[in-house]
Amino acid sequence: MIETLNIGFRNIAKRYGSNLVLDGASIDISSHNCIVITGKNGAGKTTLLRIIAGLEKPDSGDILIDDADAEPWRKQRKRLLKSVMYLHQQPYMLSGSLRRNIEYAARLNPGIADRAASVTRAIHWAGLEGLETQSATSLSGGQKQRVALTRARLRDPQILLLDEPTANLDNESRARTLQMLREFCASGTAIVIVTHDPEVFDELATHKLQLLDHRIHTETGSSPDVIELESARHSRQR
Amino acid sequence: MDILLASCAEAFRLLFSGDPEIWEIIAISFRVSSLAILCAVPPALVIAFSLAYGNFFGRRLLILLFNTFLSVPAVVIGLTLFIVLSRQGPLGDFKLLFTQTAMGLGQFLLCLPILVCMVHVALQAADRAAWETARTLGASRVRAFFTVLFEIRFGLMAALLAGYGRIISEVGASMMLGGNIAHYTRNIPTAIALETSKGAFAEGIALGIVLLFLALMVNALLQYVQGKGSINP
Repeated sequence: MIETLNIGFRNIAKRYGSNLVLDGASIDISSHNCIVITGKNGAGKTTLLRIIAGLEKPDSGDILIDDADAEPWRKQRKRLLKSVMYLHQQPYMLSGSLRRNIEYAARLNPGIADRAASVTRAIHWAGLEGLETQSATSLSGGQKQRVALTRARLRDPQILLLDEPTANLDNESRARTLQMLREFCASGTAIVIVTHDPEVFDELATHKLQLLDHRIHTETGSSPDVIELESARHSRQR
Repeated sequence: MDILLASCAEAFRLLFSGDPEIWEIIAISFRVSSLAILCAVPPALVIAFSLAYGNFFGRRLLILLFNTFLSVPAVVIGLTLFIVLSRQGPLGDFKLLFTQTAMGLGQFLLCLPILVCMVHVALQAADRAAWETARTLGASRVRAFFTVLFEIRFGLMAALLAGYGRIISEVGASMMLGGNIAHYTRNIPTAIALETSKGAFAEGIALGIVLLFLALMVNALLQYVQGKGSINP
């Protein structure tokens, strides 16, 4: 079971040159949440995820973790890198075999005692048996997505961020991805998904948000500075 | 034509008879150049990474400077270091001029920009997601650094080969900083220059053959490694 985590991002601002991407964006993420964020192309969805993951430095903004006081993003970056995992829209496959990619994630998790067995179990979990020795870069989009989710499973993050996880996937791959995400939810991992197809995640979503005018809004369209997370239809209390 | 054939035949005889002078020159060349490139690799990797992934003031200027250093002639590096290491120079007290250390220093400065620029280009060509994937999977900066290095290993090897090829065959800086002293600072290119000026072509050709053989070997090695890393083994 994942250790409970409540993390809030406050007034995040980010600008690329003259292009304002985020301005006062705020979001709360807690264990067991599955937050689906929509927004137009270029609205800043990916930038927001990268800031949450600790990969992209915002121009300003604070972070609240559990009951601690707000601290600048810079001071909490290490914590973010430790607790949050970001999956690219096109998952990056390290050169070498599929197994090497999954072993890499297992090696980075000191909590895994029997690495070989864990890797084999994870491969089985993802339904990737028989592909272990295949070059990871030559896998299909759906298989790469499964490898990325398998690495995430071994990484065991408290928050999992997914950038368009079902884009360009066929129905079977999409169903498989959703099943894997369901299992992450069940284990308590907080999930944040940015997508153009929110209805795909209807079953999983506990909160639906929209990135509009550089800020995060609830689905009802209000624009609070601090989001009061709105439980969606399928909100689950654990 | 006869002189070329005769010189080549004599060159092979010198090489395969184990002529001690020839093999001493070869050993000096390899020792100095190998040490120079070994010393240049760590700072070059750090600089290339900083230039590729860093966001600091003066980054663009540094890239411009390193690209400029790529085309600096070896004799200019030799001249600059000669002044710095000469008795009146700021490092004159170390008495490094006309030593293997001075030659190595010159070669270090010659290959550093090549390594930096080529690794920087390889990093730019590589997917930045490699670094981010490693970091988001929980790798430390150092671990992620080595992960990315592995991802760009062919570009890295190409940089090493280009750098090594540049320094083992350069004559200007080695001549100025080493002084071409027999049994001490005489390396392959300075010996070729000397033997040619004396009309002793066989010795020059023998040493040239070694350089060609080296080029063949490193390229064969590179091809082998690339074959091992092919997508579908």
